[in-house]
Amino acid sequence: MIGNILVTLALLASIFTMIMYYYSYKGYTNTLVYARIGYHVMAVAVVVASALLLHAIITHDYSYKYVYSYSGSGMSLGLLISTFYAGQEGSFMLWFLFTTIVGLVLLDYSSKRGDLEPRVMLVFTLAVSFLALMVNPALKSPFNFIWMEEAYIDISKINQAFLSLPLLQGHIFQDAQNNTSFVRMSAELVAGLKGAGIAFNQFLIEGKGLNPLLQNFWMQIHPPLLFVGFSMATVPFAFAFAAMMKNDYQDWVKQALPWTLAGMGVLGLAIMLGGYWAYGVLGWGGYWGWDPVENSSLVPWIIGVASVHTLLVQKKTQDSGKGSRFVKTNLILSIMTYLLVLYSTFLTRSGILGDSSVHSFVDPGMTVYLLLVLFVGTFTLLGFGGIIYRWKYLNQKFNFEDDTLSRELALFTGAATLIASAVIILVGTSAPIFGQTVEIRFYNELNLPIGIIIGLINGLSLILKWKHTKGNDLWKSSQIYLGVATAITLGVVFIGGVTDVMQVIFTFSASFALSVNSDIAYKIVRKKTTFAGAYIAHVGIALFMLGVVATGGYTSNEQVDLVKGKPTEVLGRQLTFTGYSPTVDGKYAFNIEVDEGGSKSTVAPVMYIAEFNNSLMREPDILTTLTKDFYVSPLSYDDKRQTQSGSDGRAVTLTKGTSTDYNGAKITFESFDFPEEGMSSMMGGGDFEIGAKIIVNVDGQTFEVEPKLTSDGQNRVFVPASIQEANLKIGMTNLDASGSVSLLLSTISGGSEPVQTPEEVLSVEASVKPFINLVWLGVLLMTAGFVVSVVRRTKESQS
Amino acid sequence: MKSKYIFGGFIIVVFFSLMGYLFTETNIGYEEDFSNVINSEKTVRATGFWVKEKSYNVDNQKKLFSFYMKDYNDTEIKVVYKGAIPNNFESATSVVVTGKYQNGVFVAKDILTKCPSKYEEEFEGSAT
Repeated sequence: MIGNILVTLALLASIFTMIMYYYSYKGYTNTLVYARIGYHVMAVAVVVASALLLHAIITHDYSYKYVYSYSGSGMSLGLLISTFYAGQEGSFMLWFLFTTIVGLVLLDYSSKRGDLEPRVMLVFTLAVSFLALMVNPALKSPFNFIWMEEAYIDISKINQAFLSLPLLQGHIFQDAQNNTSFVRMSAELVAGLKGAGIAFNQFLIEGKGLNPLLQNFWMQIHPPLLFVGFSMATVPFAFAFAAMMKNDYQDWVKQALPWTLAGMGVLGLAIMLGGYWAYGVLGWGGYWGWDPVENSSLVPWIIGVASVHTLLVQKKTQDSGKGSRFVKTNLILSIMTYLLVLYSTFLTRSGILGDSSVHSFVDPGMTVYLLLVLFVGTFTLLGFGGIIYRWKYLNQKFNFEDDTLSRELALFTGAATLIASAVIILVGTSAPIFGQTVEIRFYNELNLPIGIIIGLINGLSLILKWKHTKGNDLWKSSQIYLGVATAITLGVVFIGGVTDVMQVIFTFSASFALSVNSDIAYKIVRKKTTFAGAYIAHVGIALFMLGVVATGGYTSNEQVDLVKGKPTEVLGRQLTFTGYSPTVDGKYAFNIEVDEGGSKSTVAPVMYIAEFNNSLMREPDILTTLTKDFYVSPLSYDDKRQTQSGSDGRAVTLTKGTSTDYNGAKITFESFDFPEEGMSSMMGGGDFEIGAKIIVNVDGQTFEVEPKLTSDGQNRVFVPASIQEANLKIGMTNLDASGSVSLLLSTISGGSEPVQTPEEVLSVEASVKPFINLVWLGVLLMTAGFVVSVVRRTKESQS
Repeated sequence: MKSKYIFGGFIIVVFFSLMGYLFTETNIGYEEDFSNVINSEKTVRATGFWVKEKSYNVDNQKKLFSFYMKDYNDTEIKVVYKGAIPNNFESATSVVVTGKYQNGVFVAKDILTKCPSKYEEEFEGSAT
């Protein structure tokens, strides 16, 4: 109840704040203090509400429907806390919380920079208000009680001691289909419990729990980081819009730059941590699957990164007093970054991607859908409305011609290429709206040439000087880098065996960017460390690209059955399955010894049946070395008891009409006994039975027996036949419709029963991923570069 | 003509035409009616339900996972997938398979399972 009051208070306070900022912007001097008070009241309400939700989660208070639906007991504290954002409601709440906190910093930041605060905070608070609206009690509040809507609770979640209570009569329902009982939760029942003096959290004692796919270390880091990035992406929009309000396009660029940098640094890291999660734990095999949900957060990142570069050009040209370049581009890109974040939210939460992505949310209902549309629509109208409104002025004032060989133009072309990439990914990702989707190939084939251009332009733009470069100078200074890049590429071709033309060019492009940036970073880092950010980030991107070529094009994999104790050759390694062992958290680790040229190690992929959804869950294990990952993904485990012949048993294969001798008996395979109706049933995949007519002659006597194969359409069972008089057992092990049977002959007496030898078989998919470490190293360097740049640009924004 | 627009425009034009071409090459339509799936020669993404009564079959030798799927008209198809049984398969409310119908079976390249997170709502529907 208090939670809902707090989120409602936050909504009202945010609207009040907006109004007060509007008056401050209009020139009233006494309203600014109210606006700040309003914002702080809202912030306190949001923080307290979040703390309340966290408290409910930690104390397992399942009277909140959200806590019941997504949380449960038996989790580590970290995972338990992460159920805060496991569902729609809580993740909106988290986004709301983070945006509010970012706003607090922004309020302080903008209040120290001229008349910026009212304009920036007006727009920013509007974004906050939308999030407040989203978590209000009528929509997606995590504070709604479980009995506010009729809900059916699985009876296993309820304290068994109360099940016999008379007041429960008429509230328990049976689902005949899967034989489970439910308690219908209603206000009436809750009142009854209260009347009987039973506390609700003693009655409902267990939640549905967290999806086991999410029960993972990275669940604690990837989603929150993503929301920090999303929250920070609001700021460039606010700055751009504020600039248009004042019709002054000078200062916002240097003021927005550290925010854009920080936001994109965090978002980029968050996205790739998601990739690492998918790779290392979920067993998707790769770090990037062009999943629509992954894509939808990548698109704003690409646009944001493009804007970092064009913002820099504008800042640089302004600082040198030569007029402002790319003013329009900067406004559009800064606005687009946030719009794409909102669009991503719309795609993942509206239920549109439900059929095309494993990790989108389910349909949230019509009202929320409409609110999401309104959210995206409002900011689109504001952003583009502003640009159209100011377009005439912008077009007259900022119109320049760039020299072909200038860094300005190179950066612009680079930004255009990034935009092309973003549009391509966006089109593929949005296709589900129109009942379409695209193959993975679509993304790979289009982004490969884009990567090539990016790498080349990246290297080139740093060799080019601002304004103008002489063709001759350019050639002279790039020779060394081109040489290094050629050498690396040749190495990759001849030693690494890369032969695909596009991949060779891609490698060259990445090596070129790598050599240029490493050289500059090396020269600069000792003199002016904070100036090296861009080059460090670029080295990261170049290494990342090389890692992509290696793992994307040259991963080898193999599916293999490992019989326990039997070494099997897989991808140049000897794998021996040594059996499984239970892990501390109730799963099973399947231990495999890996012997690679004498060096031994163990991998232990994990499989278990999750109670949550009664399904088999699999987790890969990775043997990481400097140059490659050996990746083992479990597929299935089978301890099938295979029939083998006993000491005096014998396996034979007979064609129609032929005989064999066994223990003095003549055994003849006469014909198949295949009933007419069995034939049609087999064709239709139904039950059927096939017998093999066997004539046995022993000591002058003739017996006719019929070992059978029966099938219920799925499972085939062989039924053996015995002849007591002849001490003979005939089992069928296989049959061929062309007219032959495989038989297992044995005596009935004296230990000659076919021995059942258990044989444990583990099926795995193994793969070798060369140089995948370059991918992770690249991401880390890139993030480090962002951090260094944020420090530098924050200092500059104060001047 | 300004150099900015020549360079930027060139890249945008080239990639957008490439994109248009590849999109028509690689697009996959959704299909909920299996009679269309059977008649289509293109790769489609079919949504339907697992026929639980017919169970599923895992062929460890050939690494094939197969099961039967039906649409809302109860039209059934057999789905064959090279690989392991997907996570959550048994508890999925609906299944989305991407692939092609060839020689009487649907050869799936990808299987997506939808989890029953809306279970309660559905139960409400069936209880009343």
